[in-house]
Amino acid sequence: MLSLFFLILYIPAVMSSSSQMAGILPQDPALPIGSTLTATCSVSPDLGLHASSLFWSLNGRRLPSSSYSVLSPTALSVTLPGLPASRQRSGDNLVCHNHGGHVLAGSCLYIGMPPVKPVNLTCWSRNTKDLTCRWAPGGQGETFIKTKYTLKYKLRWYGRERECEELNAAQPYSCYIPRDLALFTPYEIWVEATNQLGSATSDVITLDILDVVTTDPPSGVSVSRVGDLEDHLSIRWESPPALKDFLFQAKYQIRYRLEDISDWKVMDDVGNQTSCRLAGLRPGTVYFVQVRCNPVGIYGSRRAGIWSEWSHPTAASTPHSERVLSGSCDSKSGDSNSTLRRELKQFFGWVRNHAYGCGGMSIKLYDQWRVWMQKSHKTRNQVLQGDKS
Amino acid sequence: MSGHVKNMCPQLTISQAARTLLSLLLVAAIDSVSAAVVCRKQPCGSSLQRSLKLTKLIHKESVDLLKTYKVSQGDMSELFCQMSINNVPDPNISGLDPSERMLSIYSHCKAFLPHLKRVTEQQTDLQPPSSSLLSKLSTAHNRTNGLANQINCIYQTLFPNLPIPPEPVDGPTSVPPSQNVFQQKVYGCVVLKRFKEFLSRVTRELRTLKSQVCTRRTTFADTNALF
Repeated sequence: MLSLFFLILYIPAVMSSSSQMAGILPQDPALPIGSTLTATCSVSPDLGLHASSLFWSLNGRRLPSSSYSVLSPTALSVTLPGLPASRQRSGDNLVCHNHGGHVLAGSCLYIGMPPVKPVNLTCWSRNTKDLTCRWAPGGQGETFIKTKYTLKYKLRWYGRERECEELNAAQPYSCYIPRDLALFTPYEIWVEATNQLGSATSDVITLDILDVVTTDPPSGVSVSRVGDLEDHLSIRWESPPALKDFLFQAKYQIRYRLEDISDWKVMDDVGNQTSCRLAGLRPGTVYFVQVRCNPVGIYGSRRAGIWSEWSHPTAASTPHSERVLSGSCDSKSGDSNSTLRRELKQFFGWVRNHAYGCGGMSIKLYDQWRVWMQKSHKTRNQVLQGDKS
Repeated sequence: MSGHVKNMCPQLTISQAARTLLSLLLVAAIDSVSAAVVCRKQPCGSSLQRSLKLTKLIHKESVDLLKTYKVSQGDMSELFCQMSINNVPDPNISGLDPSERMLSIYSHCKAFLPHLKRVTEQQTDLQPPSSSLLSKLSTAHNRTNGLANQINCIYQTLFPNLPIPPEPVDGPTSVPPSQNVFQQKVYGCVVLKRFKEFLSRVTRELRTLKSQVCTRRTTFADTNALF
């Protein structure tokens, strides 16, 4: 009884020198999913424990004794068939306990898959100075065990193989090469994935830095009204400063949208100007505008580059229509029927000019306006036909 | 010396040489000072109050740190943390009078640092890079170092005639040698559990010290002013 008491006191201290008191083999193995593992817990005879009094647990759950096998008075094994993938990256905890539940020894299992060939390797250079590459892990994307991805590159016709060192913890499948890149000569680039169960290499891509150049978005984007024109906005920007020393042609793209609508309208044919005018816009409305740049023909390369990010959205509003008086005959703002609104604006404008104010507002006045509109239409059409002849 | 300078570089005046020498000496002086803890004399109460606030912050973070640690080690980690391991600092503050207790806090803080660092290194291999555990461990290390420096300063201010023993040699000899993964998991949990308990004790201790030491000093100063 007394010896049992001492044992209970002694056992928690076992871990301090567990390598001598008890141990599990294999220690920290890496295995493919579905494997069968047989592990053995060996206890020192000094502990005075018999193997049949021990039990196993995996990730906190006790394993059935039917899977145990007493190899000797101081060694108990367990067989684990069809192991599933590891629950956490730090490994599954396979633990050997004494009958009281105290931990005698542990081994961490790494159950996963060898890496699949990485795919979709793409690279781009910012202003010809650096190279960023990104890839995807291939297969289902998860190996369940720690897998190292190394981006390698070399000049195609000469030079030694080099490794990209600047991995990004926030973006695990990307790497950054900050300097010392040659131009006008192709690179071969690929990704190697390695873990304890195997390795795989992506397809090699070949590129010249000058063919994958992108740049910063245009700077100084400003949007302003064009005098009183209620359906125009003028956009100005500056070419990205980083490329001012390079021989290139930039082409630009503009996109704009109404404040409360998420769909953008894109203007493709902006060419290499640094200003543009938008027309046919809605009066009295806020628009968001963005511009982006593509460096075309860097150092004589004929290819287009890669579009930059869009500039920060710049907002501006078109002027309200001048014909609407404020405070007298304005229709309610927020009227959703835009045709009616436009007609009303025209009516109020006519009233102001022809009926000297809104004092005698009546349906008769509205009818008079309608008649006037028809007459003036006819006159306008006749004038046009006259012009054509 | 100056004569020699004159001969070698006739265009270099004595004042220029002296200026260069002075700048070099100044740089050396700044360098040596920055290596030691630079303490500014602050009122007793506010220094201890600041340290108390910092301790409370580290303690609060240590609760979350331990939780995060356990989750990332997988199931069964509760049992790990109850095991006893040699060489991990115990959480108890020792000493009879305030100076001894303050010194105990300081040396315990310093003692935990290499263990926190070791756990960080081990977990860097075991966790995915996106794991928040690694940044939390790093923060705990930095803040504890800061707290140690603060306590050092307060000690020097309150007990200027008592020397601080040289920094405890808590180098590689006292962190465990290479361990298998399971042992690393256990070690990390024991370190963080004791760290959390230590900080809880420091919180209580600093409150007591503040009332003991700062009040006493105020009384002493008042008495002095009477004469």
